[in-house]
Amino acid sequence: MKRAMVLATVALLGLAMAQGRTVNLLWSGAVTGPTSDVGGPYGAGIEDYCRYANEQKLIPNVTLNCSVRDDQYQNPNTQRIFEEALDRAKPAIYLGYSTGAMLQLKPLINEVKMPTIPASAHIGLIEPPNNQYMFLPVSSYSEQVVALMEYINRTSKNAKIALVVNPSPFGRAVVDHARRAAQRLGQTIVDVREVGGGNLDNTALLRALDAAGVEFIIHQNVAGPVANILKDAKRLGLDKKIKQMGAVYTGGADLIRLAGDAAEGYLWASSYYTLDENAPGINLQKQLAAKYNRGADILNSTNYTAGMLAAAIAVEAMKRAAQRFNGRIDNETVYQALIGMNGPNAFRPGFAVSTKAGIEIDFTRSEQTGAEGLRVLEARGGKFVPVTEPFTSTLFRQVRNP
Amino acid sequence: MRNPWAQTGNYRTSYVQDTTIFANYREIVSLVLLLVALCILPMFLERSQVLVLNFILIYIIAVLGLNITTGYAGLISVGQAAFMGVGAYTVALSAPSLPFWLTVPLGGFAAAIIGFIVGIPSLRVKHLYLALATLAFQEIFVWVVGRSPALAQGAAIPVEMRNFLGLEISFRNHNYFWYYVILFVLVLVVIAWRNLLRGKYGRALIAVRDNDRAADAMGMDPGRTKLMAFALGAFYGGVAGGLLAYMQRAVVVEEFTLGRSVALLAMAIVGGLGTVVGSILGPAFIEFLRLYVERLSEWMKSNAFIQSITPAGVDVASALLPLSFGLVIVLFLVFEPRGLYNWWRLVRSYFRTWPFKY
Repeated sequence: MKRAMVLATVALLGLAMAQGRTVNLLWSGAVTGPTSDVGGPYGAGIEDYCRYANEQKLIPNVTLNCSVRDDQYQNPNTQRIFEEALDRAKPAIYLGYSTGAMLQLKPLINEVKMPTIPASAHIGLIEPPNNQYMFLPVSSYSEQVVALMEYINRTSKNAKIALVVNPSPFGRAVVDHARRAAQRLGQTIVDVREVGGGNLDNTALLRALDAAGVEFIIHQNVAGPVANILKDAKRLGLDKKIKQMGAVYTGGADLIRLAGDAAEGYLWASSYYTLDENAPGINLQKQLAAKYNRGADILNSTNYTAGMLAAAIAVEAMKRAAQRFNGRIDNETVYQALIGMNGPNAFRPGFAVSTKAGIEIDFTRSEQTGAEGLRVLEARGGKFVPVTEPFTSTLFRQVRNP
Repeated sequence: MRNPWAQTGNYRTSYVQDTTIFANYREIVSLVLLLVALCILPMFLERSQVLVLNFILIYIIAVLGLNITTGYAGLISVGQAAFMGVGAYTVALSAPSLPFWLTVPLGGFAAAIIGFIVGIPSLRVKHLYLALATLAFQEIFVWVVGRSPALAQGAAIPVEMRNFLGLEISFRNHNYFWYYVILFVLVLVVIAWRNLLRGKYGRALIAVRDNDRAADAMGMDPGRTKLMAFALGAFYGGVAGGLLAYMQRAVVVEEFTLGRSVALLAMAIVGGLGTVVGSILGPAFIEFLRLYVERLSEWMKSNAFIQSITPAGVDVASALLPLSFGLVIVLFLVFEPRGLYNWWRLVRSYFRTWPFKY
C-alpha cells in the first residue's frame, strides 16, 4: 500500500513537472483614459506576443501568465496593481507604462528589485537614484530629440528651433538636453511652448513662432496635439516655411490618420521598423494581428510594435534566465539575463533597427537603453518612409551628463 | 430617567447637551468599537488591500476639508487637489530635514495659507464665479509646479522614510505603518471637525452659507468666516496631500490635477455634503466602485461569450468604468442629492426606533 502511494506521488510530481510551471508577467497601462490611443495598442501588443510565446513554447516547460491591466492613467491604480501583483503572483518582470507613475514607483521597484521595462522613455527613469532595475526598450525621448537636432545640423547650420512639448513631465523631459545640444551645435532654441490636448486653434502659436524666425519645430508630445498644429500650419501656409518633426509618440499611423495630408513632410524619429518593411518582427506583428483578429488601427499602430518589442525582450530575458539558472525564473535571474543581453548575446527580434555595429537590443548594468539605433522618417504619400540610415546620437552621450 | 443607552429620539434639554461631541453613550461605544475594528482590520488584509484602505483614508481627510469649505460654508471649491498638492510638495521639500510628524502639519499650514489667499475672491464673488476662481487656482498650481525646477517641474520628488523610532520601514510594512499613522491623523481631524462645528465658528459657517447678509446682521463677520472656511478646508487638504506623499514614496504633479479635484467633489456629493459620515462613505464608495467595476471589466474582457455578443469595434468592458462613474454621480444628483449619508441616517433610525417605524 505504502509503495503504491509513493509511486502515485512520484507519478503525480512527474506529470506536474512535464506540464511545466507558470511564470507571471505584469503590464499595467492606460487601456482607457488619457493616452489610451497609445496604451490600447501597446497592451494589445503585449497580450498577443504572450499568447504567441505560449503557443510556440518559447520558454520550454513554462507557461506564461501575462496579466494585462488597465490603470486608466491613474498613478494610484498603477501602484495598487503593482503591489497586488507582488502580493498574489510575484511577476518575474514588470512592463510599465506612464512617465508619472513610473517615476513615482522607482523607489519601490528598486526596493523589491523588480526588472521593469516601461513604455515611457523618460530619461529620468534610468538616471539615479533608484534606477538600477529600469530598462528602456528604445532610446529615450531626450536622445530622440537630440538626434533630430543633429539631423537638422546636417543640412542647416545655426538653425532656429522651437520646442513644442506636452505640459507634463513626459513632455518636459527633453528640454534641458535639447538646450545643451543646441549650444554645442550652434543652434538657437527660440522658444519652448507647452501644448496639450484640446489645442483646437494654434494660429497664435504658429504666428508667434514664425515672427520669431523659427525654422524648425521639434515636438515631444502625443499625435493628437501635433496633428492639430500641422493642420493649422498648412491652413496658414506655414507648412513650407517651418519644418516640423518629433519624437516617437508624435508620429506613426496615428498622426497620418489625424492630420491627413497636413502630415506630409513631417519628420519623425523612431527606432521601430515600419509596417512596409520586411523585418522579422514586423512580419510577426502582421501574422499575429491577423491570427488574433486585430483591426487595422491596431495593426498599423507603432505602439502595437512597441508593446510587442517590450514583451519580446521580457520573454527572451525569461528564457535566458531559465537556461542560465537551471530553470529558475524570477526577478533576480531575469535581471541577470537582462544585463547580460549584450555583445554576442544581444537580442535581435527584428522590431527595431540595429546600430552600425549590428546590435538591435542590448543592455548592461550601466547602459539601460535597449535599441540605441534610430532613423529619421518622413511622411510621404500617407506613410512614413526612412530618410536616414539607422544612427546613434553621439551628441546625446556628451550632453546627457555634462 | 431615560435609558441613555437606548434613546429613540432627541431628548436634549440644555444648550450644553446640544453642544456635546457625542449625542449619547451608544454613539461613544459604537465609535470605540469601530476604531478597534479599524485597528485590527489590517491583520486580515494583504499589503495591497491595506494600500486601498490608505487611499480611502487619505481621500476622507481631503473630503472632510472640502466639506468645511463647500458642505458647510457653501463655497464651491474645485481646487482641493491643488491644496493637497501644496501639502505634498511642502512635505517633499521639508522631509529631508524634518520628521514626518512635523512635515505633515507643516504641509497643512502651508496649504491653509494658500487657502486663505485663494479664499479672498470669495469676499466678492459667489457660486459659479467662485468655482471659477478656485478652478483658476487649480490650474495655476499645476502651471507653477510644471515650471519650477525646484519642484522637478512636476516630475517625481522622492519622499522616503526608512526609520521611525527604531522601527525599520520597508516594503513589507510600509503600507501597514502608514495605515496606522493615517488612521491616527484621521481620528484627530474628525474630532477637530466635530469640535469646530459644535462651536460658534462652526455655526457661523452654516449661517453664512444660508444667508450671509442675515449672518452679518446678526453680528457675524461673513468675510472672516469665508476665509476661515477656505483656510481650514485647505489645511485638511494639505494634511491629506502630505500623507499621500509619504505613502506613495514620491510626489508627482499628476496626482494633483483638476481631475482629482473633481473626483473629490464627486466623493463629497455621493457621500452627502456637510456630514462626517458622508465624508467617510463617499470616498469609500467611489474607491470600492472603481475596484469592483475594474474586476467586472476584466472579467468581461476575458469572457468569450460576452466578447462574442459585443459588436465589433465596441469595447464595452473598457467603457464600463468611466460610464459607471458618470452614471453614479448623475443618479445620486437626481435621486438622492443628500448622498449616502441619508441612507445611513435612515438605516440608523430604523434600528434606533425598532420595533416601531421610524
